[in-house]
Amino acid sequence: MMHTVIADDEALAREKLKVLLNGEPDIAIVGESTTGPDTIELVRETHPELLFLDIRMPGMDGFDIFEALSKDVESVLPKIIFTTAYDTYAIRAFEINAVDYLLKPFSAERLHAAVERVRHHQRGMGEASASAVKDDGGGAHFIQRIVFKSRGKILFLPVSDLRCIAAEENYVRLVTESESYLLRETMSRMELKLDPDQFLRVHRSFMVNIAFVKEIRTEKHGELVVFLDNGAKVPMSRSYKSRLNELLSH
Amino acid sequence: MLVGLLFALQQWIEMRMWYPRAQMSILVVCGAWMLQYFVWGVLCWSLWFWFGPQLRKLNWKYLVFRLLPLSILMSFCVEVALVTFFPQFPRSEKRIPYFERLNFEFTSEFLENLAVFWSVFLVFRMLGYYEDARQKERALSQLSVELAHAQMQALRMQINPHFLFNTMNGISSLMHSNVDAADQMLEQLSSMLRITLERGPAQLIALREEIEFIEMYLALQNRRFSGRIHQRISIEPQLHDALVPTMILQPLVENAFVHGFSKMTGEGTLEIQAMRRNRRLRIIVRNNGAGLHNTNEQGRVTSGTGLNNIRNRLQLLFDQEQSLTIRESAPNVVQVEVSFPLKYSDMPEKILFEYGSA
Repeated sequence: MMHTVIADDEALAREKLKVLLNGEPDIAIVGESTTGPDTIELVRETHPELLFLDIRMPGMDGFDIFEALSKDVESVLPKIIFTTAYDTYAIRAFEINAVDYLLKPFSAERLHAAVERVRHHQRGMGEASASAVKDDGGGAHFIQRIVFKSRGKILFLPVSDLRCIAAEENYVRLVTESESYLLRETMSRMELKLDPDQFLRVHRSFMVNIAFVKEIRTEKHGELVVFLDNGAKVPMSRSYKSRLNELLSH
Repeated sequence: MLVGLLFALQQWIEMRMWYPRAQMSILVVCGAWMLQYFVWGVLCWSLWFWFGPQLRKLNWKYLVFRLLPLSILMSFCVEVALVTFFPQFPRSEKRIPYFERLNFEFTSEFLENLAVFWSVFLVFRMLGYYEDARQKERALSQLSVELAHAQMQALRMQINPHFLFNTMNGISSLMHSNVDAADQMLEQLSSMLRITLERGPAQLIALREEIEFIEMYLALQNRRFSGRIHQRISIEPQLHDALVPTMILQPLVENAFVHGFSKMTGEGTLEIQAMRRNRRLRIIVRNNGAGLHNTNEQGRVTSGTGLNNIRNRLQLLFDQEQSLTIRESAPNVVQVEVSFPLKYSDMPEKILFEYGSA
């Protein structure tokens, strides 16, 4: 069971979270609070694993609460999902490693995705500490997630969700399972930031996530094409082929 | 001073030619002329400084009763100054008493002085007229810019509420039948509202942003049409930062749904293309819905608010440089094409994003 605290000064906002979280079988709400000091006290008492935190609350804002809680040495900080009507705090929330940032009003679907992300984090805890020992130094420089605004939403996108990345002039297009987003960035900078064991340049304008590569095929005119698990095709240059083969054989 | 110097040079050269034996240093000649015009300059400048506004719009009474005596007085002052500081003039062998010299200079140069005064006055008047005209012109153009701005603002405002209320009605209806769908639609609508509010009153935005908005609108419509409309958006990558009028695509896409897809039951395809043609940006919205013929019978395509709105805004923004055409490119395929000069934003707006390694 994931013990959860809801902090929001608006009764209807808390009610919404309670109703929607009812549908998540592994979540148990252990308390609700409406002010900053109450929230801090409640978290110290109940040691929840997950905290839904409104940013603008009477007395203290969400970041003050986070700061106060992070000073408690002996207890583990809960995972935080911010819920707010303002998108201006997204970067700050991202920097303090919040799991997600829900812009009000959010749908049940969006909330579910956020909770799913918390579960993923929980599961990854053990593995993460093991792998951190393995590649301490090298791996830490590569980005693990990206925060950006797209279509009126704030996204904390883990790079492991990316299927491929395509260059489009001054932008790169990030392609996930069902969506694609434009980011003002260059392909070469992207290539430097991403772990080369995870992402591979297959073409001047394309990179693919190796985890999603299904096969490489030669089309009828002799062009190489990388097939991804969702059926997407990505063109490939011959010069990049050997590197991919080498990686796939592992 | 400069004018005085020129006159002095002229007189000096004249003298050297006609009176080769005349003894007079160039410095004295220069000094005299320069003094004369310096005094004129100072007097005219102070006159302009103190009475500039009146001078610009005076009537003939003021001219006769104030300026005429003033001009005589000023000529007199100039001569007094000249006679006082340069006793060498007029050139003569013997010394002449002060008042005689003054009398001589005044009578000989009175008309000349008056001419100087009045020509300076005329120049001032002309400058005044010129400035007035310029100011009027500026005010006029400013006014027309503001008018156009207000018109565009009004036109933009026309689109948002229309769309907003339609969508809210959709949500209101869904609430009774499908709460989850209503929930998602409300989330989508808020996202669109958030984006619209953030953009503020800008008339031109990057095509990338306009397409982002259209993608959201399409996601919303997709829910209403339960996935039977397929969409193909193809934007030439170098056009992501091209400037387009805000909310130019939404009415076109909305038309495709209202006049096209809503009148058929099967699957449909909506295509949006943006391409560069020479120095122009061409945007095409194509739908294979009901075709043009069916809608024309109801007279809605030509008189629709959406299209008129776009037409008016394009006209205000690009004058003759733009075009909007609507035709059937194939049986039952309606194609709307908008084209206008291609321009890029000088400073592409910084999009919020950051990387994290944890």
